[in-house]
Amino acid sequence: MAFIRRYLIPRLIQYVLVIFLGVTAVFIIPRLTPTDPIAHTIAQIRSQGAYLDPATVDQFIQDLKELYGLEGSMWDQYVALWRRLFRGDFGVSFFQFPTPVSVLVGRALPWTVGLLLTTTVMSWVLGNIIGGLAGYFSRKRWAQALDFTAMVIRPLPYYIFAFTLLLLLGYVVRLFPIAGGAEIGRRPEFSWPYIKSVLWHSFLPALSLTILGGTMWFQTMKLIVQNVNAESFVQYAKLGGVKESIIVSKYVIRNAMLPQVTALGLALGQIFSGALITEIVFSYPGLGTLLYNAVITGDYNLIMGITILSIVAITTAILALDLLYPLFDPRVRYR
Amino acid sequence: MNGTILRAEQLQAFYVLDMFGTRRVVKAVNGVNLEIRENEVYGIAGESGCGKTTLLKALYGAMDPPLRLIGGRVFYRVNGQDVDIFSLRPNELKQLRWEYISYVPQGSMSVLNPVIKIKETYRDFLESHVRGKTRDEIFEMAKEHIAALGLPPTVLEAYPHQLSGGMRQRVTIALAALLKPRIMIADEPTTALDVVVQRGVIQLLKGIQESLGNTIILVTHDMGVQANVADRIGIMYAGRIVEEASVEEIFGNPLHPYTWYLINSLPRFGDKGMRESVPGSPPSLITPPSGCPFHPRCPHTRPICREQMPSFFEPVAHHKVACWLMGEG
Repeated sequence: MAFIRRYLIPRLIQYVLVIFLGVTAVFIIPRLTPTDPIAHTIAQIRSQGAYLDPATVDQFIQDLKELYGLEGSMWDQYVALWRRLFRGDFGVSFFQFPTPVSVLVGRALPWTVGLLLTTTVMSWVLGNIIGGLAGYFSRKRWAQALDFTAMVIRPLPYYIFAFTLLLLLGYVVRLFPIAGGAEIGRRPEFSWPYIKSVLWHSFLPALSLTILGGTMWFQTMKLIVQNVNAESFVQYAKLGGVKESIIVSKYVIRNAMLPQVTALGLALGQIFSGALITEIVFSYPGLGTLLYNAVITGDYNLIMGITILSIVAITTAILALDLLYPLFDPRVRYR
Repeated sequence: MNGTILRAEQLQAFYVLDMFGTRRVVKAVNGVNLEIRENEVYGIAGESGCGKTTLLKALYGAMDPPLRLIGGRVFYRVNGQDVDIFSLRPNELKQLRWEYISYVPQGSMSVLNPVIKIKETYRDFLESHVRGKTRDEIFEMAKEHIAALGLPPTVLEAYPHQLSGGMRQRVTIALAALLKPRIMIADEPTTALDVVVQRGVIQLLKGIQESLGNTIILVTHDMGVQANVADRIGIMYAGRIVEEASVEEIFGNPLHPYTWYLINSLPRFGDKGMRESVPGSPPSLITPPSGCPFHPRCPHTRPICREQMPSFFEPVAHHKVACWLMGEG
């Protein structure tokens, strides 16, 4: 019970508080900027050469205010925002009028989550296992060769690396499609041909993300393992003739994993901001492109929708991490 | 007198450091001869940085770079036969460890894996040496062992950070005695503990030695601890043993000037005078002084001391000392 009272409840309160503050910030920040979204929209329409008579403009402003949730005092607007959020209503998108934001996000989300969840987890697992072994056996030839490879790959700018992969494997050797999330014209359905097409299209983006992400995890893990390896308890177990397999798994890797678990939790939270450059290079659907379009077209509702989703995702990831971490490290456990 | 269980001949172990192309050699153990007997506590004393810990590592056969064996040999007496440990394959050496010779490390604050329970550490050490036991049998063995040494059985269920420093040190000593080894090497087991806890730790160590009838090699700079526990003492200075005798002889009749200073720095009941300590500071092990390494700090230096390292004299039976004052120069 002490666990619930002293560990769980404070963290749940913190969780709710962070989301509350985050949403409040999302509410306040656009209202502090000098640009008026309504004037901006009307100016846009006018710049396209449309004539608007004053009555229409008044009506238009009224409609826009309603859509943006800009009616009434600041306090009324704020309460209305929360009321809408609890209904799951983020308003209507402007850049694809009149599709609701929730529909647009819902359309992009599976692509982003599917691609980034897989690659984040995969690169974490691979990078940590290989990095852990390379760190433990850092004097071996193969470990030094891997370390050198990682040192070459890591500083490459992502877009150059992704383009090179795309050119080599999509254009020069036509192994993989060069654009899209699935074959054009194929209806999304739960069938083998469709899934196969999705996997096929996602291969190159996933490969590029896994290699670069994995290299990052590899390098950190290798360093951490080399440090843990020099710790007294590892040296002592070696002097005690403890089996090497036990030393590697239970002494070195288990301790080296601790900071990596934290980093994984944060990386998982980041997923919901999308991967803009990947999506652009591989013309892959997802939240990154959606957010980018929302920003350049001044689609406030959409920006707010994605931002709030991100806030909730990252906070949830941190909460999950906080709750799971005592399983890995007894030192933060409450008795 | 008991037979010899561990013998070191002309042991030389240096740290060879390569920094930006400059080779630096730290002569931490420089020509040590030792004969340690069965069923005794052999104390090694000397100030910090004189090579005590390195000597232990060498005696234990733990030569990891940058520490290198330069010369000499170490023999263990295993089943009536002398075994040269540096000629053993890593596997054979690994097998001797913990079953034949075990190690109580310096600073047991950080030698226990922080993320597993004490019983898991015990299990790992047991499992690596004892074959054909189930998990439960192994935990049972650990429990019996802990109980036999008078430690509370609850420590097995604790994590290292939940134990006090003294208890952690006791847990590591018990761990070293787990497989009833013939030799236990203890490196400063009482350092960083307060005096009351020190006493408990020393009693535990002594109790284990008495019940197992084995040998303990005890390194500590604390002459008080040495006086209480050791049977024989070797005084180490600048990588060499400079004097060796029974504890009574060392304290009653110190022959080397360095030993004299070490013992004279101990407080005594009723004596309120200033304690005299060794003048100067320990010599560099990279460029040790010529001749006798103690000559720059010695009040009785003679010309020969600067030129030649004295060999052992035995002015009293079983009391060896390497000092020119004891013999013809």
